[in-house]
Amino acid sequence: MLFNSFDFGVFLILVYLLYWGIGTSRRTGQNVLLLVASYVFYGLWDWRFLFLILASSLIDFYAAKAITSSKTNSSKKIYLWVSILWNLGVLFVFKYYNFFLESFVSLFSLNVPEDGFMVWNIIIPIGLSFYTFQTMSYTIDVYKKETSASNNLIEFLCFVSFFPQLVAGPIERAKKLLPQFRREKKFNLEDSKNGLRQILWGLFKKMVIADNVAIVVNAIYASPEDFGSLTLLYATSLFFFQIYCDFSGYSDIAIGTAKLFGFKLSKNFNIPYLASSGRDFWRRWHITLTKWFMDYVYAPLVKGNKQNNYIKTVALFITMTLIGFWHGANWTFIAFGLVQAIIIAFESVPLSRSSKRTLGSYLNKAPKLISTFYIFLLITISSVFFRANSVESAFTILKQIFSFVPSEGFSLVIGWKVIVIPILIFTEVMTRKKAFPMLNLEKHLSRPIRWILYYSIILLLIRYAGPKEQFIYFQF
Amino acid sequence: MQDQKSSLSIFSFKKSHRCFLKQMLVFFMPVVLGYLALEYLVLQLPFNYIVKSDYFYSEKEEIEVLALGSSQLDGAINPKFFDSNTLNLASATQHHNLDFKILKGISPRLPALKFVILELSYSHLEHPHNSKVFWKNSIYLKYFGINTFERNTYFKDKLLYLARPDFYSKQLVNHYFKKKDEAILNKFGFDERVSKGLFYNLNYNDSIIATKKMEIYTLADIKLFKHNAEYLFEMLNYAVENELKVIICITPLYKTYLKGRNPDILRRRDSILKLLSAKYENVLIFNKENDTLNYTTSDFSNQNHLNPNGAENFSKELNVFIQRKTQD
Repeated sequence: MLFNSFDFGVFLILVYLLYWGIGTSRRTGQNVLLLVASYVFYGLWDWRFLFLILASSLIDFYAAKAITSSKTNSSKKIYLWVSILWNLGVLFVFKYYNFFLESFVSLFSLNVPEDGFMVWNIIIPIGLSFYTFQTMSYTIDVYKKETSASNNLIEFLCFVSFFPQLVAGPIERAKKLLPQFRREKKFNLEDSKNGLRQILWGLFKKMVIADNVAIVVNAIYASPEDFGSLTLLYATSLFFFQIYCDFSGYSDIAIGTAKLFGFKLSKNFNIPYLASSGRDFWRRWHITLTKWFMDYVYAPLVKGNKQNNYIKTVALFITMTLIGFWHGANWTFIAFGLVQAIIIAFESVPLSRSSKRTLGSYLNKAPKLISTFYIFLLITISSVFFRANSVESAFTILKQIFSFVPSEGFSLVIGWKVIVIPILIFTEVMTRKKAFPMLNLEKHLSRPIRWILYYSIILLLIRYAGPKEQFIYFQF
Repeated sequence: MQDQKSSLSIFSFKKSHRCFLKQMLVFFMPVVLGYLALEYLVLQLPFNYIVKSDYFYSEKEEIEVLALGSSQLDGAINPKFFDSNTLNLASATQHHNLDFKILKGISPRLPALKFVILELSYSHLEHPHNSKVFWKNSIYLKYFGINTFERNTYFKDKLLYLARPDFYSKQLVNHYFKKKDEAILNKFGFDERVSKGLFYNLNYNDSIIATKKMEIYTLADIKLFKHNAEYLFEMLNYAVENELKVIICITPLYKTYLKGRNPDILRRRDSILKLLSAKYENVLIFNKENDTLNYTTSDFSNQNHLNPNGAENFSKELNVFIQRKTQD
């Protein structure tokens, strides 16, 4: 059930009416309803994977309880590792096993038949990387005493499977989301209105921008060898906006949906194309994932060595490579992560021996237009690795871009619907201090104007929506 | 008393909440009504599916030939020229996977069905199959009662406008505002309008046509080819099990298109044709792809589609072929 489907609309209305209809005093009833709704939402994709999500939830729930009740540090550690190994094991088996196997076979030039017995023909459960990270962080936080173990199984199951953010985040921490299931909900009119506005804005980004831009990108990337440098660069920069609108659109719908039920989810994007450096970009792009890796990978790696540049750089490369690898079992994602690490590391190198100034500090002081252009260009070019099917293909595209092959008939591939990108940029930049552009719109516009705006967006969604593409981040 | 009542009720909406729900209802009412109006207008459009559906329901006991495939066969087979009752369900961008679902859905309802026409044009096996959310699924469900969604359907699946808003919006504007020249459909749902297509616009002038850049599919995809070929075999096995004869039809191509084809794609397709003839007794090949003698410029709508004149030729030839095979 996609967020941009009719089915989801009906599902949301039903769950919403039942949820508030139950009454705010019946908190457990509301939680049970959310749990059932979340499992239905997930089970409609593939009910078999409900057992996996249930198993992960139960293991982490009881592991956390065991950590809390254990008296010795060593037994706490054992329970923590049970949880971590289970979660990483599930990820490995379902997402990375075939990749490691194929890479191993290729590295040692082993002769394995195409349908070799070792290759596991299995689909990746949707949203696996999101919920395993969410639930794994819970046990780590309980171990670190940053949050207390939940004693209520229903609340915990809800925390793991909460349908608005189950399949593509934002990746929430237990200390933020779990207490929200304990709290009695009060209907808040403003939150509900803003929730609906955020859903509308997210749908606009996904259906009108991302799906229409995808047509141009897919057409060009289907046979990159047929196009010149300018066209490929154009398609690659469009891809940046496609993936941004696709994923941030999803996050907006998720956050807006959660608001309708009285929940607050974390912001996941902060106008990333306005970043002034590589580091700044990752503070604005998929914020909850970056923060997860910073807290659970980077921070432990540099712990006690904050002044040691060598360790910090190694930690940076490990973290960024893992962030890349998190996106998918392909060398292209590893390459993408590595390029990000190189960009950030390069910005941290002092420009001369005598000075402590780095490219990053220059960029921070440079005119916004220059630093933004610099990082946008770098991120755009590195996203070739994100989009290409293989590293070889990515290098071919990059070679094609930098060999300055003339782009014949460039005007034919532009696609007039791409005009929505400048509109998006203008809107987001003008409202950059808000969580999303349509927040608290009643403070600026009268009701008739607001309704005209909403109807116009709905009309655009119906009339100009691109062909239905699955949310890109669902595959991760 | 009021509080006690509300706390005991199954549903307990507070005043502010009820007010919000009312506002939502008022807000979404025009959206729903507007949508219903659009859907109604779409249903009034003179589509060939409606005519084909009428023909299907009135003649289903007698239909002996069923044509499937893409726009090439849609524009090449005019059932008017067939001696046997023929239903042409070929349609633009329709691929084998949809053909197969239609065949499985409709053949049990066609007791007299003997021949199934399938397409194997030059690049057909190297095009991807239709997606599960292909917009024409709604048409087949609504007008022919065939479920091609591969899941249980419900009322929304029959809504046409929602299935492809951009296409139907254009059709609505053309029909109700621009009053563009519309299809001239015969009783079989075949569009007999000659005054359309690139070649018509260029007065069938070869020298002008030669100056136009033609879209020729040359993108090879061996993986896709293997998958699609296996799928085709599956379809043919189904036809064998159901004692149906299959005619693999290939329509003529304009000379420039013939020259511009990718030889690898062509070789692979031809190898499949040979294999089909050798492997299946129930498969007949009707290949007019290279027939530049009987099909001249004035028979084409564009480089790879026949116009109604060409369709007449093609249909008559195909009819003779079928009659001969029926007698055999």
